[in-house]
Amino acid sequence: MSDLNINPRNYDLFKNIKRDYSPLVIVMVAIFITTFILGAIFTDDFLTWFNVKTIIRDAALVGIMAIGLTFVTLSGNFFLLSMKEIAALSIICFATLMSADWNVWHDTVEPTTGSLAMTFIVAAVITLLLATVAGGLQGALIGLGGNPIVVTLGAAGLFFGLGSWWSDNLVLSFRRPHGAEWLGTGSLIGDIPNITIAFLIIAVIAELTLRYTTFGRQVYLVGANRAAGRATGHENFGMAIKCCIIASVCAAFVAIAFSAQVSSAHVNYFSSEFGSSGDMTIMVIAIVMVGGNSIMGGYGSTLRTSLGAIFISSIDNMMVLNGFNSGARVLAVGLMIVFSIIVFALVRRGSRAVE
Amino acid sequence: MHEKLLELNDIKREYGAIKALRGVNFEIARGEVMGLVGENGAGKSTLVKIISGFDSGFTGSYWFDGETRNFKSPLQAEHSGIAIAQQELSLIPTMSVAENIFLVGDGIPTFSSKSKLIRMSLDYLDEVGLSHVDPSIPVSRLSVGEQHLVEVARLIAHDPQLLILDEPTAALGESDSIRILNMVERLKNAGKSIIYVSHRLDEIFKICDRITVLRDGENQAPRAARDMNVDSLVETMLGFELGDMYPPKTNVSKSKPILKIDNLWPDGVLEPVSFDVYEGEILGLAGQLGSGTSEILSAISGSTKIRAGKLHFDGEVFRPGTPKDTIKRRIAYCSEDRKHDGLFLGRPIMENFSAPSLETISRSGIIDASRELSTTKENAIKFTVDPARLPQEAGVLSGGNQQKVALGKWLSINPKVILVNEPTRGVDVGARAEIYEILSALANSGVAVVVASTDIQEITNLPDRIITFYRGVQIGELSGDDCNSKNILEHITDPFHEAGIAISEVEA
Repeated sequence: MSDLNINPRNYDLFKNIKRDYSPLVIVMVAIFITTFILGAIFTDDFLTWFNVKTIIRDAALVGIMAIGLTFVTLSGNFFLLSMKEIAALSIICFATLMSADWNVWHDTVEPTTGSLAMTFIVAAVITLLLATVAGGLQGALIGLGGNPIVVTLGAAGLFFGLGSWWSDNLVLSFRRPHGAEWLGTGSLIGDIPNITIAFLIIAVIAELTLRYTTFGRQVYLVGANRAAGRATGHENFGMAIKCCIIASVCAAFVAIAFSAQVSSAHVNYFSSEFGSSGDMTIMVIAIVMVGGNSIMGGYGSTLRTSLGAIFISSIDNMMVLNGFNSGARVLAVGLMIVFSIIVFALVRRGSRAVE
Repeated sequence: MHEKLLELNDIKREYGAIKALRGVNFEIARGEVMGLVGENGAGKSTLVKIISGFDSGFTGSYWFDGETRNFKSPLQAEHSGIAIAQQELSLIPTMSVAENIFLVGDGIPTFSSKSKLIRMSLDYLDEVGLSHVDPSIPVSRLSVGEQHLVEVARLIAHDPQLLILDEPTAALGESDSIRILNMVERLKNAGKSIIYVSHRLDEIFKICDRITVLRDGENQAPRAARDMNVDSLVETMLGFELGDMYPPKTNVSKSKPILKIDNLWPDGVLEPVSFDVYEGEILGLAGQLGSGTSEILSAISGSTKIRAGKLHFDGEVFRPGTPKDTIKRRIAYCSEDRKHDGLFLGRPIMENFSAPSLETISRSGIIDASRELSTTKENAIKFTVDPARLPQEAGVLSGGNQQKVALGKWLSINPKVILVNEPTRGVDVGARAEIYEILSALANSGVAVVVASTDIQEITNLPDRIITFYRGVQIGELSGDDCNSKNILEHITDPFHEAGIAISEVEA
């Protein structure tokens, strides 16, 4: 039980930790933090400005997707298993539009900034709209009572197949300069990559939305108890649609940013290029879990997800610097998920002290 | 008198400050059917749990079959020959009848073929009156009543000496109920002792030899059923007046109904119902479990689907679709199961209070935190929930406080009609009185309160006017002096008695 009137003079952090958490949790977290700090100190080049930037930049793309997915999870609609396929379809759509024939500048004259910007905006908006439709359809099926796993597994096949068919399973590339370089590789503020800034902005907006808006509150309520949500006038149907759209749009945004970075697209980009485990969907779900969000919904935050992303990224980075191969890194991510699930479950149980 | 099989003396059981049993004596002889009756909260289920070994935290002496016993687990009780059929079935729906009968326990062959199990099961099926059932079909294809009988068949396969049936007919229709009663008769003739727990008084009189009445954790000496009648039994069950707890009734002028229920036909109710609700009254819907009262309330709120009918509300005719529609019209509905759809247990109490009115406390999509806090505080104080506890999770509250939050959250929409199903289920006496007081105050301020309850004291004393239901049929209306327990019980347990019609004929 939390005290409401904490006297700041008598406030004893360690005493409160001891009171609020079970010894097992304290020991587990202490071992973990110690290992992490020791690792950080004894890994050469880990605590450099350059490396910290790398960590956050690596966290940015998966992090943005995980933030989107957090809405789905918090609202009690489990996970979208189609995250990477939505991204795959989006990246094909974006790259196709960026290299389309109506974009005629490339043979005749040097492009103007205006025409480049125009091409980018059209491509990005259409891609995001496509993702909105993709998310909305999945959300509607889930909201009507479809099992999220079944619906999104089916949708995953559908989107991947569409993207693969559309691109003939080829790499689509578009020529530099194009209107999206600023998003992919640029940095407006000092040497901080724009994608890192986008990640931070999205993280802040998402957290504020969850905390202070009516929609955010509804996400938590419907996630905490769907039946009670319905009884108090908050139906899961609209909620599932909105949350799936948010997740899909985040996936499409990541696809656009990644395509802008590499000036090309292929349906398999998100199956092989990301994180230590290689599979973007698994990576994104791992981040949501490591952040300590409840799988059942109603408990958690996008702040936790953002921290989870940075956390996984830094462990991964530390292991790379120490020369571990990808197998060991996959193992580490798996261990972290199991570890965090246990710790958060214990913490939650402890806080349920009954009157 | 036969030889005694079980004897309990001075059984006491406390849960924290609540005294569930305050010194109960209980006995049953061999080959006897003992009825166990009492109000909700009288301690029936606690006593049954103690007898069957689920609850070992009691004081008092427990004597069974010649020895003093101290069962630490239901399994030990089962080994000694005590079997209990609980209200919730514990069958595995996809497995066959025969496999379910020999699922677990003593005397079950470790390895066996299906045909052997089927052969073995036939005897037991005969014994419970299921000889027409093919033991190889899955349990899920049987009716609920037949499933109850299969459960009993499983119990008697272990040859128990004492069988406890906890409200076996609560969820059953008439024909299935008759099967159960016939089975009890057969088992009794086979020499088994049976404790029969039921709210249906007609059944009690049909099959029981003696009746033990529990009231507020104490019991009356068992009396032979033939020495009692429904009236004297009800009197014993109710005992003293509980008038103090209930606010005074008011006479409401029936000038203009605020809500007219017009041929509403929810699923689970036999025929469409129609009645009016007036401003400022507390209307009671009386009926036992399965009488349809809870379906009617949830149908009005749009929580369950309806087959037909509409509502006239405030000069408007509409068909309830979703709770969202009815909340918008300021009709609130509090279900009987707060854990299922009344509370967000993992969320702060504050969010529970403000959940129905999120739109009104928000300005252009942003929650107005100070407004949320002030209205929530106000409602919390009305329901005597400590405002300092608002940031805590609702799950840490006691049952009574949880119920106050589940009910109190509806104040935030300034309801015109508030529908409450089982307002005090699982609530201690103190909180009960508070809830009654609040409902009465709401009614006095002009809100129409509709209460459905299976608690006979509550439904007698709280409402100003009562509409009675029996197994999905609307029976009648009682008001003024007619609102007494005797009349209500007659309406809700055996309404066709006076007309000389047997229940089975009416429903056939």
